[in-house]
Amino acid sequence: MTDGTIDLSPFAPGSAPSAAPRRPSRRTRRSVLVVDAIANWTITIGGLGVILAVFGIMIFLAEVVWPLFSGSHVIAQSQAKLEGAASDVLTELVDEYRTIVVSVERNGHVAINHLATGRLIKSRKFEIGERKITTFARTLNGENVAIGFDDGTLRLGRIKIETTILKASIVPAGLKDLGHGDRTDGDAVYSVIDGDQVRRIAVSVDLDDPQRIAPEGVALVALDFRLGGTVERPTRSFVSIDASGAVRLSRLETKRSLLGGTNGQATVNSTDLPSLPAGTRVASMLMTSLADQVYVVDRAGTMFRYDTRDPQKPSLAERTRITPEGVRVTTLGFLVGEQSIVVGGSDGSVNVYFRLQRPGVDTADGFVLVKTHELERHSGEVVAFGASPRSKSFVTADAKGNVWVRHSTSNQTLLKLSAAESAVTAVAISPREDGIVAIGTDQAVWNWHIKMPHPETTFSSIFGKVWYEGYPEPGYTWQSSSGTDTFEPKFSLVPLIFGTIKAAFYSLLFAIPIALCAAIYTSEFVGPRVRNIIKPTMEMMASLPSVVLGFIAALILAPIVESWIAAIVLAFVVMPLSVFLGAYLWQFVPQNIALRVGGAGRMLLIGVVLVVGILLALSLAPWFELAFFGGDFKAWANGDVGSSRPFMTLLAWPASFVILSIAETRGYLPFMPGSGSSRQRDNALVDLGRWFAMLAASLALALLLATVLLAVGIDARGSVINTYVQRNTFVVGFAMGFAVIPIMYTIAEDALTAVPEHLRAASLACGATPWQTAISIIVPTALSGIFAAVMVGLGRAVGETMIVVMAAGNTPVIDLNIFSGLRALSANIAVELPEAVKEGSLYRMLFLAALTLFVMTFVLNTLAEMVRLKFRQRVTQM
Amino acid sequence: MNTATIDQAAIQAVKVPTAVVRRSTATALSARGEPFMWALGAALTVGIVMVIGFLLFVFWNGLVTFVPKPVAVVTLKSGTMVAGEPTRSEFYRLSPDAMRALPPAEAEKMATNGGYGHRTLYRIGNYDLYNEDFRWVPDHVVGNIDYPKDVIFVERLEWGVFVGRIKSVKIGDRDLASPTPRDPALLAAHEEARARWQTIRHIERDLIGHVNHDLEALRLDVRHAEIIYGPSSGQAEKARAAEAAQVPALKAEYDRLTAEAARLKSIDQLNAITLADIAGKEKVLPLSNLVRFYPANDLSFFDKVSIYLSRWGEFLSDEPREANTEGGVLPAIFGTVAMTLLMVLVVAPIGVITALYLREYAKQGRLVSIVRISVNNLAGVPSIVYGVFGLGFFAYGIGAHIDDLFFPERLPAPTFGTGGILWSALTLALLTVPVVIVATEEALAAVPRSMREGSLACGASKWQTIKNIVLPRAMPGIMTGIILAMARGAGEVAPLMLVGVVKLAPTLPFDGYFPYVHLERSFMHLGFHIYDVGFQSRNSEAGKPMVFVTTCLLIGVIAFLNLAAIVIRSRLKRRFAGSQF
Repeated sequence: MTDGTIDLSPFAPGSAPSAAPRRPSRRTRRSVLVVDAIANWTITIGGLGVILAVFGIMIFLAEVVWPLFSGSHVIAQSQAKLEGAASDVLTELVDEYRTIVVSVERNGHVAINHLATGRLIKSRKFEIGERKITTFARTLNGENVAIGFDDGTLRLGRIKIETTILKASIVPAGLKDLGHGDRTDGDAVYSVIDGDQVRRIAVSVDLDDPQRIAPEGVALVALDFRLGGTVERPTRSFVSIDASGAVRLSRLETKRSLLGGTNGQATVNSTDLPSLPAGTRVASMLMTSLADQVYVVDRAGTMFRYDTRDPQKPSLAERTRITPEGVRVTTLGFLVGEQSIVVGGSDGSVNVYFRLQRPGVDTADGFVLVKTHELERHSGEVVAFGASPRSKSFVTADAKGNVWVRHSTSNQTLLKLSAAESAVTAVAISPREDGIVAIGTDQAVWNWHIKMPHPETTFSSIFGKVWYEGYPEPGYTWQSSSGTDTFEPKFSLVPLIFGTIKAAFYSLLFAIPIALCAAIYTSEFVGPRVRNIIKPTMEMMASLPSVVLGFIAALILAPIVESWIAAIVLAFVVMPLSVFLGAYLWQFVPQNIALRVGGAGRMLLIGVVLVVGILLALSLAPWFELAFFGGDFKAWANGDVGSSRPFMTLLAWPASFVILSIAETRGYLPFMPGSGSSRQRDNALVDLGRWFAMLAASLALALLLATVLLAVGIDARGSVINTYVQRNTFVVGFAMGFAVIPIMYTIAEDALTAVPEHLRAASLACGATPWQTAISIIVPTALSGIFAAVMVGLGRAVGETMIVVMAAGNTPVIDLNIFSGLRALSANIAVELPEAVKEGSLYRMLFLAALTLFVMTFVLNTLAEMVRLKFRQRVTQM
Repeated sequence: MNTATIDQAAIQAVKVPTAVVRRSTATALSARGEPFMWALGAALTVGIVMVIGFLLFVFWNGLVTFVPKPVAVVTLKSGTMVAGEPTRSEFYRLSPDAMRALPPAEAEKMATNGGYGHRTLYRIGNYDLYNEDFRWVPDHVVGNIDYPKDVIFVERLEWGVFVGRIKSVKIGDRDLASPTPRDPALLAAHEEARARWQTIRHIERDLIGHVNHDLEALRLDVRHAEIIYGPSSGQAEKARAAEAAQVPALKAEYDRLTAEAARLKSIDQLNAITLADIAGKEKVLPLSNLVRFYPANDLSFFDKVSIYLSRWGEFLSDEPREANTEGGVLPAIFGTVAMTLLMVLVVAPIGVITALYLREYAKQGRLVSIVRISVNNLAGVPSIVYGVFGLGFFAYGIGAHIDDLFFPERLPAPTFGTGGILWSALTLALLTVPVVIVATEEALAAVPRSMREGSLACGASKWQTIKNIVLPRAMPGIMTGIILAMARGAGEVAPLMLVGVVKLAPTLPFDGYFPYVHLERSFMHLGFHIYDVGFQSRNSEAGKPMVFVTTCLLIGVIAFLNLAAIVIRSRLKRRFAGSQF
């Protein structure tokens, strides 16, 4: 050992003196260890980061979506005593910033109190003299009020809340502190806000001259009014009922003098409406903005609806019970938009009614009141109602002091608040829907600061049928925006999911046969050299940007398909027929020549045959259109011309051919000639003849089938085929096929090629033909791989965006028609998300759409991957 | 006993196969399955024809778009004249009303044709005069088609093309006598006018833009100081003083530049050309407004080639105009390339690290299959979902926080809190990371185990082995994966629509102002350009040629990247071919 070391030294004379550097240290250098550890950690964390990414995306999307289903909650609440209030509160108003509350009392007092503390800021009085207020009405925003008196007169009033933003420096000095950062000068409230500024809120109250509606001394018992007309000639419409039971529709016009005089001449024109039955005790009445409908409810719960579209000829259009026997109507009011009527009953029921046009109803104008939403019942009598000025939310209160915030369209109770055990006389939702204010009989005021960001969405409103205002029945609707102010967004994902599935279904109908057949042919019937060219060519299709496919589909293909639709339908018939005819003729070619031509040569031949088929289809198209579609495909599809029997026969043809083929192989058709000859030419001839016979027989069967189907009422036209739209599912299906075929083809081809070679060899060695080997050995073995290919293709089709954005027309309808447009989830996101307000309902709904897509593809991909792993295991074990 | 039974069995066994063999000398036709094989073959043929046909269609349309076409002057039977480039022609079905309006002889001819007529689409231009760019002319109304030599085709800065004749030309204070499109004086004046127009644009955009940028920067400095240190702090005072000191000079500079631009514009107005459409309706234009003009029916082959090339040159190196339907796509090319490169910077390390984890570090087990399934899911999640995630998480989430922390002076206008090139690149990185992972994994698997073992046996640590032995050998595969990811990323549009692509970006993400790279800016993209021009422009027909050229370019870029992947793979494979134990 030592000798050896000494022997070595002469070979390295230069480094001999110091032995230490020669012998490397056994210990690994510290830096190497550190770097190794860092790499270890980085790579492990990075690798596991992928899992994090997938679930992170899902969790993030879910987190954004979640408030759609929860959301509403109370942020703060307070209770105070209204200072200076004396009698019943008729109505209350809250300003936009929930600083003050204005209450109108039965004695004509208008009190303005600080909401948080209840302290009186100012008290005004409507100058009503000796008269007594007998009835009262207000507009939804509360700015305009009408007061009816016991002497048969009526006065209009205005309560205006004015908000101004001031610089802090110009706020007058010597203000009285109200607490909560608010101060008052006995007239207005000053609140400190951000940016060195102060908000001033002041209320002005005024009352117009009395107008006589009913005869002297006859009290008005119910009234409602609406404002209209122009600034120069404002009109006010009233509807009123007096103590004698007379119902009047009146119009008050004020002509302003051109010289700028403030008070012009006011004139009242009244029309008598058909009177109510004697003894009716009117509870409440309502009128629409256009003054075309008047609703009167008596205490027993009967609704009288007047049609006043023609003010000269008003009629009592409908009379119906809106509460069960023995239940009084206690509150009545419109929601914003004035189409929904909310009826509160003495049994605690809260129901919403729509006026809908129904054929065959016995009312005078063809409309009828329909109960559309039945909301959760209060346990006691409903005593107060307040509607939101901006959505279909409203608040109801019962005699036990429960104050519930509800939403009409989504049928839900958003919040259940409680005003202790006192009776509530008035409730209101603040203009920004961030507060609820209730006033009790004992002049107590409850103030809840709430947040209800998405009152219109519930799980069932998104995925179930919803009855929207103005719609004849509940349905699935997606409509996120519109021009009008009172528009209610309609968020149902069902039409979008349907559109996604429809587009994916039709594209797979086209893509699956082509991709899978092409994969089988590539892996089994062409040589490796040809395959090495074909496969990359097909895969090249995968790298085509989908925006290009969409553009070509929408701007080039769609117009072509539209003008040549008959030829294209015919091509679906002619091309398979010509390919099969080619195959039967090819059987005449001696086998040794056929073998020499091989798979690639056969493809060339097939190409020629296909071209011939297409040319044939083009030239036969006019004849075909005349014979099958009455000369005009689009009119035929619309159901205008022609009969659907020829086309149904065509549709049933392939199915009946398959049925007959199965019958034949089972031996049920003994009269078919067999091919027992030893000469190939004879066999081929018999085969061809048999094919023709089968075609003819199956055509006859198809005709029979079509007749039977039509007789039982199954018709492709009107369901699967209907009115033609240029950008339609057919075009989308074709273009999306382009996007889906390559991925399906590649995966399926890989699966087929992965089948071990010895299986193939064994089968061929046993005497099976390549066709038999392929169809009974290879394909069954690779079936799970092929299934995975279809799943992945489906996932791709579901998520494809640009093609559906561009070529699908983006109409969110639920319709099986292959010639109509659609709107897919993905397209909907791409079109609407750039416009959506951050964290608004639409924004979250689109995130929900994305989450839905994510979950759909997650399931498909995980399934495919698991099947594929199984397949790989099985193949390696073979 | 035993032997006898075996013998008999053997004889029977032998007999049966002989019978089978004899029958199968002529294989039954049904066993050959010829019709089915033809059906399979037909599917493959259809697939191949679809791919090749599609590519040929796109490339053909893209390449012929810039070829100057002759201008036909069609005299209709009614006497009206229509002049324009014939774009395409088709058979169409006449509506019943149109059929009834036809003279009987024509109607009869149509009827024999199955109600089909033939018509040609002319690009008539002159949108400012006619309110349409294209017009269909049915064959049966045509009296006479002519190609006069003096008709010119003019591309303008505004209102698209003009088809007509030159009426008169005014250069400065002198009029050209009987001007022709090839008049050297006219050509020289046009050249000069274009140069002047470029100068005006330079002044208005670059120089005045610079002044505005400086003014804005000063204002933001003040606001920043006020927000961070308080409005009455020393820093704020200093910023206000700096602003007060510099603003007058900048304002003066601004005034000087506007005056200069105004002077040049007044000169520009003196050089004008009067054009007349085919019916004689006149239109006066400053010469600088003409991008290009040529006598469409009097071009030599050389002229055509030079016009063709100059149009390509403009397309590749200029900015878009006319709502993107004319001009070039340089900003879109730039945006696409910049975004893709940025994406690669992110996607390459993440993808390689994940693949290293899967192949080299993780124990093969349940965890690894979960990671694999996750990778596959990342690949299968629709791209639009990434867009939604990118918008919500990157732009509105992270971006909004960055704004709060670093750019409070610009609020409420968002800086990073909205779509931008960085967020787009990150979003697409998520989308393309599976491509890199899968390719890298394959490459790592192809490195022979023996090499790793050799390295480890020599005493190298795990990381040293990976760094020095495994990664260099796997490089071809990794490069391929990265390039394929680039190809995928460059063609993706849907997520970009949500996270930062715009139809017209006023500024590029890179410029001469500190910090030179502005990753928060939105950008233009070739793919989105296709969508925008094809679907959002005033006339999709007018935009179509542009879309085809852009499509051609985009597919070209992607095909180039794919080809590069193949070439690099084969090159590097060859280099490392001998290095196996």
